[in-house]
Amino acid sequence: MKRTISFAAGILVLALVFSAWAEARRPQPMPLTPTLTGETEYCLTCHADLEEISPSHPVETYGCVVCHGGERLALDADLAHSTMRGGKNPSDLAVVEESCGGSDCHSGQAADERDHIQRVLTSVQATYAGAIANIRYTFGAQPDLNAYLGTRAVQDTTTQTGITSLAAFDPARETNPALQTFAENCLECHLNSEPRPGDEYARFSGCAACHTPTATTFPPRSRDAAEGLVHTLTTAIPYTQCNTCHNRGNYDLRTMTFAPRDDQPADRIHDYYQPIAQFTRCEWTLDCIDCHTRSESMGDGDIHNNQKEIQYVQCRTCHGTLDELPHTRTLTDPNDLAFRLAALNQGARHLELGDTIIVTETGEPLWNTRQLPDGTFELVGKATRQYFTFRPVMGTACEQKPDEQESRYCHQCHSAER
Amino acid sequence: MNEKDVTRRDFLKLITNGLLTLSGLLGLGGIFRFLTYQTDPSPPTEFDLGPTTNYPDGSRTVLPRVPAVLLHTKDGYSALSLVCTHLGCTVNEDDSDGYVCPCHTSRFSANGSVVRGPADRPLRALRVEEHDDGRLWLYTA
Amino acid sequence: MRPNFFHHLHPPSIPAEQSRFRYTLGAGGLGIFLSLVLLVTGALEMFFYIPSPEQAALSVQTLTYLVPYGGLIRNLHYWAAQALVVVTVVHLLRVIFTGSFVPPRRFNYLLGLGLLALILFLDFTGYALRWDEGVRWALVAGTNLLKTIPSLGKSLYGLVVGGSTLGAATLIRFYSWHVFGLTLAVVILGIWHAFRVRRDGGIAAPPPKQRTNNARISRFELVRREVLAMLLSAAALFVLAALLPAPIAAPIQAASDSLGEARAPWFFLWIQQLLRLGNPFWMGVAIPLIALTTFAALPYLFETLPTDQQGHWFPRAGRGAQAIAAGIVLAWLVLTILESLR
Repeated sequence: MKRTISFAAGILVLALVFSAWAEARRPQPMPLTPTLTGETEYCLTCHADLEEISPSHPVETYGCVVCHGGERLALDADLAHSTMRGGKNPSDLAVVEESCGGSDCHSGQAADERDHIQRVLTSVQATYAGAIANIRYTFGAQPDLNAYLGTRAVQDTTTQTGITSLAAFDPARETNPALQTFAENCLECHLNSEPRPGDEYARFSGCAACHTPTATTFPPRSRDAAEGLVHTLTTAIPYTQCNTCHNRGNYDLRTMTFAPRDDQPADRIHDYYQPIAQFTRCEWTLDCIDCHTRSESMGDGDIHNNQKEIQYVQCRTCHGTLDELPHTRTLTDPNDLAFRLAALNQGARHLELGDTIIVTETGEPLWNTRQLPDGTFELVGKATRQYFTFRPVMGTACEQKPDEQESRYCHQCHSAER
Repeated sequence: MNEKDVTRRDFLKLITNGLLTLSGLLGLGGIFRFLTYQTDPSPPTEFDLGPTTNYPDGSRTVLPRVPAVLLHTKDGYSALSLVCTHLGCTVNEDDSDGYVCPCHTSRFSANGSVVRGPADRPLRALRVEEHDDGRLWLYTA
Repeated sequence: MRPNFFHHLHPPSIPAEQSRFRYTLGAGGLGIFLSLVLLVTGALEMFFYIPSPEQAALSVQTLTYLVPYGGLIRNLHYWAAQALVVVTVVHLLRVIFTGSFVPPRRFNYLLGLGLLALILFLDFTGYALRWDEGVRWALVAGTNLLKTIPSLGKSLYGLVVGGSTLGAATLIRFYSWHVFGLTLAVVILGIWHAFRVRRDGGIAAPPPKQRTNNARISRFELVRREVLAMLLSAAALFVLAALLPAPIAAPIQAASDSLGEARAPWFFLWIQQLLRLGNPFWMGVAIPLIALTTFAALPYLFETLPTDQQGHWFPRAGRGAQAIAAGIVLAWLVLTILESLR
C-alpha cells in the first residue's frame, strides 16, 4: 500500500531533477548593454566568438540589435533571429535605411557626402539604369537612351541631372519577350540583386556587396564567405570583391544570356580583368578603389543615365598630361575630408597637415596619394598597403596628341602584356 | 501483523517523507533562484571620461551621469562623489564652492568634508586613473 | 474533532465501486490539482510579467529565457492550463455518461458548466497576455467577433477592449480579468462546486440496497489515492514542461505587414473552423452559445434516472443525454481536427 506512494514520490523527485538538469543545460546568458542604446541584449550568449565587424562599430558601443534587429532577449535561435532585418544582411537596400541610416549614421547629412544611403540608392550600381535603358532602346521599348526605369523606383528631389525619378522596371509590362528574358537572365549584378550561384559570384546585396569582402585574397575564396558567414565591414575593398560582379564575362544580346569567362586565372594579372580587356600595369597592381572614387562607385546623389556619366577618373587624373600636372591640394584644414577618409581606412596611410595630395577634376581627394619632395608621387594601396611611386607625364617623352587624353589612348602604348 | 511488518512500514514512511521533503526543497530552491533574479543589470561602476585634454589644469567638472565632480589641480586628478552620505540624494553646488543636499540641507565643503549635518560622513572620494591612451577613467566601485 | 472543509470533502468512508479510477477518471480531483498548480505558477509569473503593450512580450521573453527556472514555470503554467481544459471536458463527459447530472446534482452540474466557460475565458485571456505576433490575429478576430452580436455588440466590444482598437487599455483589461476577475470567480465557483458534491449526496451511487458491492473505502485510502494522483501528475507536468516549451513569438510590430499565421489557440480552433463556414455571428457566437445552452438544458430534458441505474457508466435511461453530449463533443473534435490540419 505504502509502497506505491514511495514509488510515486521517487518519480516526482526524478522529474524535478530532470527539469533542473534541463535548466542547467541552457546556456549561461551573456548580457551586453551597448552604450548607444542602453538596452541589454543577449546575442553574445551564442555569438561571443564572432569577430568585431569593424573598428568603427565596436560591439560595446553598438551591440548587435541596432544594426541587425532581432529579439535581444530571446535565447531561442528561431525566435531571436525571427525579426532580424534583411536576414543575414541588414545592409540590403530594402532595409538599409532602418539598419544603417539615421542622421548620426549613414543617411541624412549631405555634408561631406555623408548621406551614403541616399547616394547609393540612386547610384547606377543600384538602379542599373544604363543597362535597362540600353536594352529597352535596342528592342524598341523606349525612344532614346535616357534612363526611365531602375531596378527599384527611386526619387531625387534635388536633382542636378534633370532626372527626378526612376520607376521600377517591371518585366510583366514589357511587350517584347527579349526584355523578359533580359529580366530573367541579366539582372544579377546590381546592389538590389542576389548574386548568381557560384563561389566566384559570392557577395551580399546592399552596402555589404562591396564593404563586406567575401573574397579577400586571390586565390582562394573563403568557404565562410560563400556561406555568408563573414562579419566584416571595411573601406579597404580588394579588387576581388569588385570582381564578384565585374569582369566575370559577357552578355550575349542575341540569346539574352550571360556567358561567363572560361579562363582559369592562376595569378593576379590574369585574374584582374577578363581576357579581352586592355589595361596597364598600374591597373592590375593596384585595386579598383585606389583610383576610383566614392562618388563614382557609390553615386553622387543624383540619378544618372548610365555608368559613363558618373565614371570620370582617367590616367590623367593622377598622371596629368603633357601640358598639365595633376590637380593637387595641400592639406591645411584639419577638418579636410581627406583626413576622415584616411582614418576610416585604418592604417593605410597617416596623413599630416601640410601634405599635398592629388585631387580629381571635381575636387575629390585621393587621400592615398602624396606628393614627394622631388615632385614625383607616392600612392599606397588601400587594401594591399603597398607603396607605389609614379611620375607625372609632363616633361616625359610621351607622344600623345593633346586631344586624345582618355585612358584608352594611353593603353595603345602602355598596355600590359599578359 | 508482526514486528517485521511494523519496521518495514516505518521504513517506507521514512522514505516517502524523505522523498516528499526532497522534492519540496528542490521546488523551493528553484523558486528562490526564480525570485532573486534581477531583471535590470547593475548600473555601471566604470566611466570613460574621455581624453585628459578635456579637463585642463584648474578645472572643476561636474559629471552628472556618475554623479561626481572631477577636479584637476597641481596634484593631479581627483574626483568626489556627489551622492549625499545621508540618504543618497544628489547634492548641488552652492554659492561658496561647497555642496548642499536638496533633501535635508546637509552641507559639504569643496573638498567634501561635512560642514553641517544631518550627514555625518564626508562625500566619497572616487578613484580616477589616467590610462596609457590618454583617457581618464573613473571608478565608483 | 472540529469539522473542517477538508473533512467535508473527504467523508469517513465512500463506496468503493464509485471511487475507482475507472468510474471517476480522476478528472474532478485532477482539475482541482491543476488549478492549484496554475495559481502558484501564475502568481510566480506575476513577479516578472509587465502588462504594457511595449513590455509584455519582452517581459515574457525575459521570463522564458533569462530568469532561472522562468521558462520551466511558464511551461508548467502553460501545460497545466491546456491539461485543465482537457480534464474539465473529460469530467463533464464522465458526469453525463454516468447520469450524475440529474437532480439533486443538477445545480452542481450547472456550476461545473460555468467553470468550464470560465476556464476557456481564462485560457483565452492568458493566451492574449503574450501580446506577440503569435496571438495577434486570434486576438483581433476574437474581439471583433463581439461586434457581430446584434445591438449589444458595439458596447460589449468597448467593454472588453476598452477602446476602439486593441491597445494598452485592452491588455490591462485582459490582465485584470485573467489574474483577478476570472481567477476569483473560478476559485469561488470551484470551492462551491467541490462543497456541493457531498451536499448532493456524495459521489453518484445507487442506494445501498441496490448495490452489488457494498464495500467502502476509508478517508485515509481516499487521501492516499489523491496524493498518488497528484504526485504522478506533477511528475508528468514537470517532464512535459522541461521537454516541450510553450509557444512564443516576436513582439507585435506596430507597422507589421507580415500577416504571419493567423491561428486560434487550439481550444478555439473549432470556432475558427466554424467561422470559415458562414455568418460570423451565427458561427462564432450563436452556435457556441447554443452548444453551451444544450449542455445546460440536459438535466431539465432528462430529469430522472431510475435509482438502480445510478452510479454506472452509460445507464440505459440516460441514452438521450449521452447521445447529445457525445454528438456535441464529437462535432467539437472533428472541427478542431479539420482546422488543425489546414
